Amino acid sequence: MILAQNLTKRFGGRAAVDHVSFDIPQGQVVGFLGPNGAGKTTTMRLLTAYLPADEGHAELAGLDVAEQPLAVRRRLGYLPEDNPLWEDLELTEALHFVGRLRGLGDDGLRAARVRAVVKSCGLRREVGSKVGELSKGFRQRLGLAAAIIHDPEILILDEPTSGLDPNQVLEVRGLIGELRARKTMLISTHILPEATATCDRVIIINAGRIVADGAPADLAGDLADQNRLHVELKGPADDIRRALAGLPGAARVEGEEGGSFLLESAAGTDLREEVFHLAVRHSWPILSLRQERLSLEEVFRALTQER
Amino acid sequence: MKNALFQTRAVKALAGRTLRWYFESPAATVTLFVFYLLTGYLFAAPLFLLKAASLRGLVDFVPLLLAFLVPALTMGLLAEELRSGTFETLATLPLEDWDIVLGKYLGFAALNLACAAGLLFYALVLWLCASPAGLDWGGVLGTLLGLALTGLAFGAVGIFASSLGRNQVVAFVTAFLVCFGLFILGKIAGLLPGSLGALVEYAGLDSHVENLAKGVLDSRDLVYFASLIAAFLYLAVQRLRARRF
Repeated sequence: MILAQNLTKRFGGRAAVDHVSFDIPQGQVVGFLGPNGAGKTTTMRLLTAYLPADEGHAELAGLDVAEQPLAVRRRLGYLPEDNPLWEDLELTEALHFVGRLRGLGDDGLRAARVRAVVKSCGLRREVGSKVGELSKGFRQRLGLAAAIIHDPEILILDEPTSGLDPNQVLEVRGLIGELRARKTMLISTHILPEATATCDRVIIINAGRIVADGAPADLAGDLADQNRLHVELKGPADDIRRALAGLPGAARVEGEEGGSFLLESAAGTDLREEVFHLAVRHSWPILSLRQERLSLEEVFRALTQER
Repeated sequence: MKNALFQTRAVKALAGRTLRWYFESPAATVTLFVFYLLTGYLFAAPLFLLKAASLRGLVDFVPLLLAFLVPALTMGLLAEELRSGTFETLATLPLEDWDIVLGKYLGFAALNLACAAGLLFYALVLWLCASPAGLDWGGVLGTLLGLALTGLAFGAVGIFASSLGRNQVVAFVTAFLVCFGLFILGKIAGLLPGSLGALVEYAGLDSHVENLAKGVLDSRDLVYFASLIAAFLYLAVQRLRARRF
């Protein structure tokens, strides 16, 4: 549904987007992560045909972005970064204006769409307000409403929750959650819980290049260079430490606060069953056994701080 | 719609929005007030002081007035969209740059034509004041057409200047310099020798407005204005394209 092949964009000789490739199938919601200046917005601008690519090829809904930019944009809803809208227009006027620009010429049909998006985006309370008078949260909702006024198949949202307070973030996230059943979405963000909460898949970009692509949990597994277990057994601490260290594959055992142990083993080895059998053999009740996983935040830091 | 030259609905929507923006904006109201104040004086002074039933004063001075006022009306048309970021919203809708420029321009053109139509009031006063046979309707209507076309040409220059960047002051100064240049070319043409003088005269506004003010509808004059408008609108579109480097 959204295909990027070796997309490259240079500004003054520096590659802002450097041979970026991905393929997002229909119905998938993908988080596009990266630090500021990583190339997220430029990639989105290439996909929406706002900027021409220097190299590579992009397709949306099977349409070539460079060859058929208007056809692509008809099938696309785009929320640009900072959500620029006409401040002097009243909320529904702004939606009607975008609707007319999108070619929704039939007054009745357009009015019905405006009513529908005002309702679905929770904007009814703000009808009558000028765009410039809206709070940031409602403004973001209005940007989303404008992006879906023509009921597009594909949504590209650039930092939809940027600058919002936690309540507003939850509201906008809820809205995206409602849309996800019907749309293919690419959502850029640098707020990591956002991606974990909203997205099926995460693409991490750094310095213009894609450095990771996969489900958030898989990324953590791929990146981890060791397996870490937190083990708390009821029994003599020294015996437990020795027994854990003696497990085949155990690399390191370290005591932790509260009487538990950190058991490290090589990546790909899972010692949880061995720990269970060890506990049974020694009649040491298991008080807790938890496998540590890298959070998306740790994955992000590991991948984007190297350069 | 897919193969249409322009996205008609979108162009109409942009033109309507531009026209409405004008009427809701104090700047446009002030500009129109200044326009009618000065043109009213230029019209009334010869009529009541010299008893001359003519729009002569308008032909001589209004192009210079328009060289100030039209850039003031057009400087924000694209520069403000670029400054506020709404240009990205526009440019990622299913619109060509042509649609954006044309929509904005038609909004200005509607205001310009409404302004020129307002000058018909002066013609009506002349008709009431002059002896029934004394009013040269061809000249009066030609004058209004010449001034309207001057406004339209300056508007195209103004849109181009507004496409240069986010700064409206730069847009205003650029548009004023080009409009003033077109105005002054006609004035200095007489000082230049032979074919150079003829060339500069054709490039300047004066001779074309003068011809129309005499009631002469010459295709060369109409082609001149049409070429100016098309050239500057084309440049504005190219400038917007070049911004997407």
